[in-house]
Amino acid sequence: MIKTEKILHLKSHRGRKVRVVREHYLRERVPCYSSLCQADCENDGKVLPGDLTHYVVPDVGVVVDFLEILEFRELQGVVFTQTACQAVQHCKGRRQYNRLRNLIKDPRHDCVLFANEFQEYSYCPREKGESQEKWQTRCVYSAAVWYHNHLAGMKDVVMITEDQDAVAEYSSLNAGVYVISVQDFLQNFWPELQPAHELYSSISQALQEKESESSQKEYTEHLPAEILEAGIKSGRYIKVQNRSTHLVHALFSLLDVSSLLLFCPVSDPSWAVLVCGNKNRNRAVHGDTVVVELLPKSEWRGKVTALSEGEEKSGEDNESKPMPTGRVVGILQRNWRDYVVTFPPRDGTQSQSRNSQRILAVPWDRRIPKIRISTQQADALQDHRVVVRIDSWESTSLYPNGHSVRVLGRAGEMETEVQTILIENCIHVPPFSDAQLREMPVNSPEKPWRMDPVQVAERRDLRETHLVFSIDPRGCEDVDDTLSVRSIAGGKLLELGVHIADVTHFVAEGSLTDLEASTTYYLADRRYDMLPAVLSADLCSLLGGVDRYAMSVMWELDAQTLAVNKVWYGRTVIRSSYQLHYELAQALLNGEPAEVPELARLEPEEKDAKLAELNQALETLTHVARHLRAQRDRGGALELEGVEVRAQLDEQRNITALVPRQPLEVHETVAECMIYANHWVARKIQETFPHQALLRRHPPPRQEFFNQLVESAKAMGFTIDTRTNKALADSLDRAVDPQDPLVNKMLRMMATTAMSQALYFSTGLESQDQFYHYGLALDRYTHFTSPIRRYADIVVHRLLTAAIAVERGADSGRAIASNKELEELAQHINSKNRAAQRAQKLSTVLFQCLYFKERDPQTDPQCVADAIVYSIRNNGLLVYIPEYGVKGPVYLKNREGQVVAAGEDGSCEWQSGSLRHYSDRISTTSSCGTSTFRLCDHITVRISVRSTSSHADSLNLEIISNKPHRSAEPQQPHSQGRSQLVQEVVRQAEEAQQQAQEKAARRPKLSREEREFSQSKTPNLYSLLEEVRELALMDLDTAARVCVTSAS
Amino acid sequence: MGNVVQRRTRGALRRCPFEVCGNMAGLELLSDQGYRLDGRKATELRKVQARMGVFAQADGSAYLEQGNTKALAVVYGPHEMRGSRSRTRHDQAVINCQYSMATFSTAERKRRPHGDRKSTEMSLHLKQTFEAAVMTQLYPRSQIDIYVKILQSDGGNYSVCVNAATLAVIDAGIPMRDYVCACTVGFVDETPLADLCYAEESGGVSSLALALLPRGGQIALLQMDARLHQDHLEALIEAAMTACKGVSKVLDEVVRQHLQEVSVLTGE
Repeated sequence: MIKTEKILHLKSHRGRKVRVVREHYLRERVPCYSSLCQADCENDGKVLPGDLTHYVVPDVGVVVDFLEILEFRELQGVVFTQTACQAVQHCKGRRQYNRLRNLIKDPRHDCVLFANEFQEYSYCPREKGESQEKWQTRCVYSAAVWYHNHLAGMKDVVMITEDQDAVAEYSSLNAGVYVISVQDFLQNFWPELQPAHELYSSISQALQEKESESSQKEYTEHLPAEILEAGIKSGRYIKVQNRSTHLVHALFSLLDVSSLLLFCPVSDPSWAVLVCGNKNRNRAVHGDTVVVELLPKSEWRGKVTALSEGEEKSGEDNESKPMPTGRVVGILQRNWRDYVVTFPPRDGTQSQSRNSQRILAVPWDRRIPKIRISTQQADALQDHRVVVRIDSWESTSLYPNGHSVRVLGRAGEMETEVQTILIENCIHVPPFSDAQLREMPVNSPEKPWRMDPVQVAERRDLRETHLVFSIDPRGCEDVDDTLSVRSIAGGKLLELGVHIADVTHFVAEGSLTDLEASTTYYLADRRYDMLPAVLSADLCSLLGGVDRYAMSVMWELDAQTLAVNKVWYGRTVIRSSYQLHYELAQALLNGEPAEVPELARLEPEEKDAKLAELNQALETLTHVARHLRAQRDRGGALELEGVEVRAQLDEQRNITALVPRQPLEVHETVAECMIYANHWVARKIQETFPHQALLRRHPPPRQEFFNQLVESAKAMGFTIDTRTNKALADSLDRAVDPQDPLVNKMLRMMATTAMSQALYFSTGLESQDQFYHYGLALDRYTHFTSPIRRYADIVVHRLLTAAIAVERGADSGRAIASNKELEELAQHINSKNRAAQRAQKLSTVLFQCLYFKERDPQTDPQCVADAIVYSIRNNGLLVYIPEYGVKGPVYLKNREGQVVAAGEDGSCEWQSGSLRHYSDRISTTSSCGTSTFRLCDHITVRISVRSTSSHADSLNLEIISNKPHRSAEPQQPHSQGRSQLVQEVVRQAEEAQQQAQEKAARRPKLSREEREFSQSKTPNLYSLLEEVRELALMDLDTAARVCVTSAS
Repeated sequence: MGNVVQRRTRGALRRCPFEVCGNMAGLELLSDQGYRLDGRKATELRKVQARMGVFAQADGSAYLEQGNTKALAVVYGPHEMRGSRSRTRHDQAVINCQYSMATFSTAERKRRPHGDRKSTEMSLHLKQTFEAAVMTQLYPRSQIDIYVKILQSDGGNYSVCVNAATLAVIDAGIPMRDYVCACTVGFVDETPLADLCYAEESGGVSSLALALLPRGGQIALLQMDARLHQDHLEALIEAAMTACKGVSKVLDEVVRQHLQEVSVLTGE
């Protein structure tokens, strides 16, 4: 069965050469993974189709340097050789190798791996004196020849190589096996695949540049891996000894501007190391895992707490505590991604002679250093945003080298900016492929989709028995949740039902759609769907008046106490009777006259009866939801404040207004039912699969993060208890200033900033007390109710299906994911969600900027707004503008050292003077006298846009008066949002008082979770809260300060 | 899944420094296609070749190659006790094992061929293994010496020694309950790998050595000094036993062929 061969390896260690003999077993039967195979190879997994014109075998050099080109899905029939894969692992490291592995595993790419070195006839031993490159090329060629022969000459095999000698040597040896260069290959076979050609020229230019590098050292070399490894081990030991220098295993977590980095140790994230300056930074790029050596204590630097303006650091270090400061000695893992850069305009300063094609491009992300790009299109690309990849950063080079991948468009255009946001967050939203769409069921007027009678028989039929309805934002297409409520057993029991679209029926596990799905991305002006429209807007969408499959959770509640008697989970068939929207539902609840479209054409009597029935259901639902909310409030559920504004666009995509979202009680009602369903599903799957259920947890926040909140509250005369979520919720409820309702809102916003992030996880990985959801005050929670929009819900649906099967005693037939797989999946979903939230937030900022960009700040009244001070810094204030939901800094001292002085009427102007900073106030002294700004003061600011060509625009706030802004005409449409917010907060304060008095029948407070960009409601409160947390401008400082306190 | 190998001895680290680096670079012990470093599949053994009766002076001798690991085993006895008589057992024979490695057996020349901690431990393991297999009660007050030398080391030293010594004991004509066959198995990516080679052994695998009396399925010795989740132990032992049975078939073949050759020579 096996024949042994031996190969010789020469390896060196500590300078010595060691000769190692390794066995090498060859076999005749190595699967070829081609559907044309005549020899009955065991081709399990994916196989190359037989209907291609040729197979491509890339040479080692091509795989190592041009893998990106091979990643194009248009290139089909690629056979990777084992030789090439090993070379990638050897030269490019694990990251690149994993990328190759994933490419091979990916069922969407037509490529396979052929283990040529284990095949008896394709293996060629290395000859004496043969260089490694020559040998590898020979191996690859021999594999290509084997392939051709193995398929009995039915398929031409093209070997692509960058080695011109190989082309000359091998091209005429065998008929049917062609050896050509990559460039020829692309020109002959893919002349129309323009991106590939561009990528090719860009990469090859970058490679050429690399060869002609100068040898002058700009940075110290990184230490070799063994020394780092040993240093980390011993460093822990030395740390206990309290020596001044030791190695710390550190990870980039936060950083400010490109020359100043902040690391958190991987092992203990509670403190951080500061790395200042390019020399100390030593080629580390944001995202890398690096090893840091601490500098002696005398060289430690303080963290600046002052507001910074651009590159200029305005605060003095002496008053802040010094932070541990270090320098990077080695990089364990590079984590480069695609970066968006802007080509600077040609201004003649770039050298023209020899390096005329080299351009220093400025990354959009401020944390990334400038990247040197070699290109011939430099002129054409001026002021364009371009996607680039970093190739290398040698110690001889001041900047990293990269190559361009794709041009996005001119900077400043909306489409370009939106694409930039997507790419900077690693979000890929390709259109759905044909193969994916082929998997989809058909629903067209000619071939209407019908339910399968087998499915109907298996499912519980609720079409006749239950009144099912949905409540969503107006114009919502993807209705994934519906509700039903009715009284049974003669009014003694209530049956509450939540019916969720049965997406897993259509999206089979492992299908292409399943593989592609991650989440739906909502940006301020658009969304990218997770599922093709035929599912998301039609077959999975629980539209009114049509039969749909659903996954249901139904509770039998006691009508009086609302205690749960029984819970039923299962697949159902439903027909939604009413597709309501929030405003309509609220109107019905309030008893206002409203026109329900479904009833428009009925007779008056019938209409009244139906309307009464619907009204009854809505009222019961509201009653139940209030009860549920009260129940959670007793457990300590938090109500937090988010800033959210949506941009209203007209037909030309111009922004007409920024509108804060308006809360209605019915939002709350629906959200509460969804939270309840999620909670019960979480219970069910966790109980059935204790080690492999996908749940969502929200860890309690770190107490240090509450410092700012507690101090600010103290300055305003409130006490905040942050020990538990219950205590926090109660003390926030008490902290109400009757004069200024915004105070409570501010405090809630600060509390939100302190929150940690909710995460998906697999139950096998955490102990049960870690499952707690802090914000919702539930012991178990998951996401179940939005399978059209979130991938996690699909996973949960599958788990629930399996759990139901287990309950019935039937085996589900398919093994559910193991704990490890689930945890990997959870990590992936978490990172995707974070990216989605960041993108959403960035796009909101983008639209805010676009809104103000079109207005002249000096004349337009909309650019002047009322702001409230929520934090005091050394040289300025952090303010919040309720009208637009904007947070930002206001400087009281400018670059010339002048300070703001308030005149008699409150108007402010710059004068020379001095600043004094106290914990709760800041005062400026100038020739006109002293003016003081306190926390929660209202001031008037002017909003303008600070534009930069290479980064995102940002809003600039300038103080114009220290008096609250009084709008000339309070009835102006733009101030509507603000007055409504005020009303809302007043009402909240009233509610808080009511609750204290009558606990049983308290009105639920308003949460804001469902106000995400005109989607139907989501129980994902924390996606929003996280967004707010990131909107908080000086998050960095808070974190840094915490780090200092804990480290010192 | 804490399958972290804890190295007990510093010697192992010192002996194979470049492999340690290799592991940090992430040698892929089992590829996605199911191939190991040397081209074998997970359950395949290395090529085993053996000869019996390689020395005339000794009572029994054998030479065995398992892949690139090569061992020479020599058996003297049973004979009367030598050295300290106090160890004499009046109801059974005493088995004396000595394990050593040739100075040229590893990639870097070994300083001390025998008598170090590792060799002593290995000798003890061999002794235990053969006490379980040899019918010592037939030879009271006597002694059986088994000397094993590793000529070339490429992983699985213990199992190769056991297999070679089995053949030598058979060559010496000492009655045994059954062949003792040994094999190492490792656990990588939830898959048991049979018969580890050196690169795999040093690549951070939890490995387990097992000596088996194949016919009855009795375990003569089981040794593991790595961490392994309890759930996987059974699968690992199962894989080891299958591998040992494979080895026993090869050994049986060798013995039969040897007998044939000898009987031709003696003209029976």
